[in-house]
Amino acid sequence: MTSTVPPVTPVIENTHELVISATDLSKRFGNYQAISHVSMQVRRGQAFGLLGPNGAGKTTTVRLLNHVISPDNGEVLLFGEKMTAHRADRLRTRIGVQTDTNVYENLTARENLMFWARLYGLAPRQRKARVDEVLDMMGLAHRARAQAGSFSKGMRQKLAVGRAILHRPELLFLDEPTTGLDPQASAELISHLEDMVHSFNTTLVMCTHQLAGLADLCKDVGFLVGGRMEASGPVEQLVAERWPGHHVRISLGAESDELIARARTHIQNESAGISCEINADRTLHLELPDESFTEGVIASLVAAQFPIRSVVPVTYSIKDLYFDIASTTGEVAA
Amino acid sequence: MNIQRVLTVAHKDLIEVVRNKQAMFPMLVIPLGLAVMIPFGIIVMGSDPTMPTSAFGLSSLIDQLPKGILPPDLSESQKMVYAFTVYFMAPVFLLIPSMSATVIGSSSFVGEKERRTIEGLLYTPVTDRELVLAKIIASLVPAIVITWGSFGAYVFIVDTFASPVIGERYFPTANWYALMFLVVPLLAFLTVALIVAVSGRATSSQGAQGVSFLVVMPMILLTMGQTTGIMLFSTTVALVFAAVLVVVDVVVLYAVAGVFHRERLLTKLL
Repeated sequence: MTSTVPPVTPVIENTHELVISATDLSKRFGNYQAISHVSMQVRRGQAFGLLGPNGAGKTTTVRLLNHVISPDNGEVLLFGEKMTAHRADRLRTRIGVQTDTNVYENLTARENLMFWARLYGLAPRQRKARVDEVLDMMGLAHRARAQAGSFSKGMRQKLAVGRAILHRPELLFLDEPTTGLDPQASAELISHLEDMVHSFNTTLVMCTHQLAGLADLCKDVGFLVGGRMEASGPVEQLVAERWPGHHVRISLGAESDELIARARTHIQNESAGISCEINADRTLHLELPDESFTEGVIASLVAAQFPIRSVVPVTYSIKDLYFDIASTTGEVAA
Repeated sequence: MNIQRVLTVAHKDLIEVVRNKQAMFPMLVIPLGLAVMIPFGIIVMGSDPTMPTSAFGLSSLIDQLPKGILPPDLSESQKMVYAFTVYFMAPVFLLIPSMSATVIGSSSFVGEKERRTIEGLLYTPVTDRELVLAKIIASLVPAIVITWGSFGAYVFIVDTFASPVIGERYFPTANWYALMFLVVPLLAFLTVALIVAVSGRATSSQGAQGVSFLVVMPMILLTMGQTTGIMLFSTTVALVFAAVLVVVDVVVLYAVAGVFHRERLLTKLL
């Protein structure tokens, strides 16, 4: 992804400013409660991952935040202003949204972007340069004059993301932006988004259930399940709250059930404050108050002549958190 | 209201229409038949003194025209040609924009819903009123251009084949100018606005076209009757009618924008 136009000097200001502040949002469609009492806050320059299985309410939440649909209850503040029908159109000039891959098929890639550039009021002199820049950035420059109807799903995705970032929005909503992209294009897009967040202080809300590589970009996440925000906050904090202490997995030299059960009993008797469970793969899972307890536990097992094959620290990721929340709420994880 | 955004959306829609050959073909062929082929045939055959006017079923209509409306000293075949070209063809030019508008306008919103491009558009800064006006313009412009193009072709046909029969250039008459450049655009605007309103609430293009036909045709038929009966015989009446249409158009535009509902547009089909 190379740039043909010198980048605009980023203006970084007031990084603690709340760009999104949604309180107690609820939305019902007929008998279906799509969103229930959802609250969320996103600061300027923050990359926020809105996670959840299919039908969790991610798209509805984005629609509510942008006032494309109005909530039955609750309110949305964007850039400190209450989002109302009268203000929505002005506030939307500062927002970019990509929710799908649907572009105008009878228009060329360039025409699609020029259309968006005009709608967002880019000055005539800026339009061509910026459109060229985005086409290049998205790897579509060689197909600029081709009608979008002839594009593959991945190319449409790039075009849809390209039009969302075209006017350099302060707030960017992306819904599954890497779907349909090949690994290289996906990595380039994530890299570009990181650049937007870190260099240009763009606020990013990314809806996804594709968890690979998400933690590198989104340090803060919200888990929507069944229309409810089940958890929200920095990933590290959520993981620490869910799995406090230090976790290790111990594999014994022999895999007899009796030996493993004896080892578990030994640990529980000898080490206060340590939780020990037997995993399905016949390893022991230990939850320790902190890392310093590991050495003592190992020494105790060795002294009792338990054959230890390996001791591996267990780290929890955003993916573990996702599946844990999905399973505890009874939702089938995507 | 941001005119640039209105024109941007309308321009995009126009490009899409022009590139849609399936939509363009009937919009061009039907007016060609109505404004060129049929008049050409009737003028050529009607100007033949050996052909009785009753052959075209026009003699009784000619008899119903107000006295003194036709130029004096015309032969039967000249009367037929004059009456046909000046009076009986006028309703056709009210029908042409309505047909074109129905083809384009009925799919204005519902077409974007079906192609699932509407959601992206609704996230942009375009206001409801801008969006409605843009969709109306996008349907109105081709409807009027096609009608005026058909009118140009019709003028050529009349001048070339009917004027020699009458013995002088007599067309277009002053009332035709009022019809084409005042009544047609204003009536087309009203038609398009109603069709766009239907499109905004329909769940499929076919449904929108069906309902549009039901909504628009009675109005067109009524206006066509009034046109042949009164308007073309009096420039004053045509101007008054145009003035009334201006008021009705403005009221309808605000009403259509008022009933436009972003959320319904997005959630009804999707």
